[in-house]
Amino acid sequence: MKNALAAEWLKLRTVRAPFGLVSAIGLMVACGALLSWLMVQDYDTSPAAEQMKFASADASVVINPVVQFCVAALGALVATSDPRLTALTAVPDRKRLLAAKTVLVTTAAAVIGAAALALSIGAGWLITGDRPPPIAPWDGPGDVLPWFGAAVLSIVVTGLIGLGLGLALRSTAVAIVVVGVLLWGLPAITPMLPDPWNTDASAVMVPYLVYEVAGIVENAPLTPLAAVTCLLIYVVVTLGTGTVTLLRRDA
Amino acid sequence: MIEVRNLTKRYGDTTAVDGLSFTVQPGLVTGFLGPNGAGKSTTMRMIVGLDRPTEGEALVGGRRYQDLSRPLRHVGVLLDPAAVHHGRKALDHLRWLAASNGIGEQRAVELLEQVGLGGVRHKRIRTLSLGMKQRLGVAAALLGDPQVLMFDEPVNGLDPEGVRWIRDLMRGLAREGRTVFVSSHLMSEMALTADHVVIVARGQLVKETPMEALTRNGSLEDAYLELTSGRGL
Repeated sequence: MKNALAAEWLKLRTVRAPFGLVSAIGLMVACGALLSWLMVQDYDTSPAAEQMKFASADASVVINPVVQFCVAALGALVATSDPRLTALTAVPDRKRLLAAKTVLVTTAAAVIGAAALALSIGAGWLITGDRPPPIAPWDGPGDVLPWFGAAVLSIVVTGLIGLGLGLALRSTAVAIVVVGVLLWGLPAITPMLPDPWNTDASAVMVPYLVYEVAGIVENAPLTPLAAVTCLLIYVVVTLGTGTVTLLRRDA
Repeated sequence: MIEVRNLTKRYGDTTAVDGLSFTVQPGLVTGFLGPNGAGKSTTMRMIVGLDRPTEGEALVGGRRYQDLSRPLRHVGVLLDPAAVHHGRKALDHLRWLAASNGIGEQRAVELLEQVGLGGVRHKRIRTLSLGMKQRLGVAAALLGDPQVLMFDEPVNGLDPEGVRWIRDLMRGLAREGRTVFVSSHLMSEMALTADHVVIVARGQLVKETPMEALTRNGSLEDAYLELTSGRGL
């Protein structure tokens, strides 16, 4: 397992695509900080009555979907970028290969997600300074931690979804398209369904689950525990399908 | 030693390999010959666990390939030199393969020098010629200093110097007592390289014999065509 994991890590850092994805995340964090700064400039020059109508200058909410997508693409790349012939010749024990890929994606997603969110939340804090709500996004660390934890969990989940889809579909491009459908396509469609299907279906979409896990949605259809369970079902279904494909099909 | 016992592979109604049995002995270069679609590549893929046999088994040194914890230390494989990430540098390709089997990185550097790719080790694989990719594939096969080597069409894309290089390499590996199993369409090349031949057609064994016995009364090409005439696709 140690050798397989070392090989997967070496494979990941000796091609360009992962650096492109991390750079895209870095750029989004920077853009988010710029957005927060512009909001604060606008807030400072607005009358007091207008200031009360401002949204919070928290860019982490905006960048989270982008981080989710980039990490899911990373998961798909880990599954598909190297031809199976060579990968399975070097590590023919498919369960060991799968375990190494899963550990790598989980770790990379957690580290990248935590770093991106911490930078974004930290930048928001520095930029808003001692200004009051609503422009100040959080009251203190105790206020932000549920959101931070939920967002990092959602990023790890999307990384594993990408890995599972990559293993199941055996194509980076198709896996990334399906990730796009899951993260952006379906959530755009579900609100258009007739009532009450629109509420029920939207409640189990990945982008909404993160808010339900954090417990920051008023009258949320799902409890945080149910939302976590729902996220885990996404992982079980996609990674489970990928596992069956890897273990049972010829290379 | 490679032992193939009653190996069969079916894809739906199509039988690609049909009850194939033969043994590849150490100390010899064994040529694996047959027309296109005869099941040579499928057989090689089953030997290294890439495809699952419908029936039968293939053993390397008495064990299934997929049961070897560090397989590259036992078996060197070159099945498809294009089966690499073309955006990775040549040395990095060997480094990850080495890491996967607990082999030191220095071995990768030495092998690239040995196969004549020392000067391009930091080049991305997409920039290498077909012949260079073949040499990189040979280096990958030699990485674990294995006792068993398996090459599928190893001289494809090689210039005459490269063809001689790989012929001498395979002969040298067999002289060291290693098992060398090689498939090729080039009869003239096989006649110069192989000590023993396994000929298949339509997934079945046609002949397993020492090269000398096959070429006693003519060329390998004549003998091969006579044995496989009417048995191709």
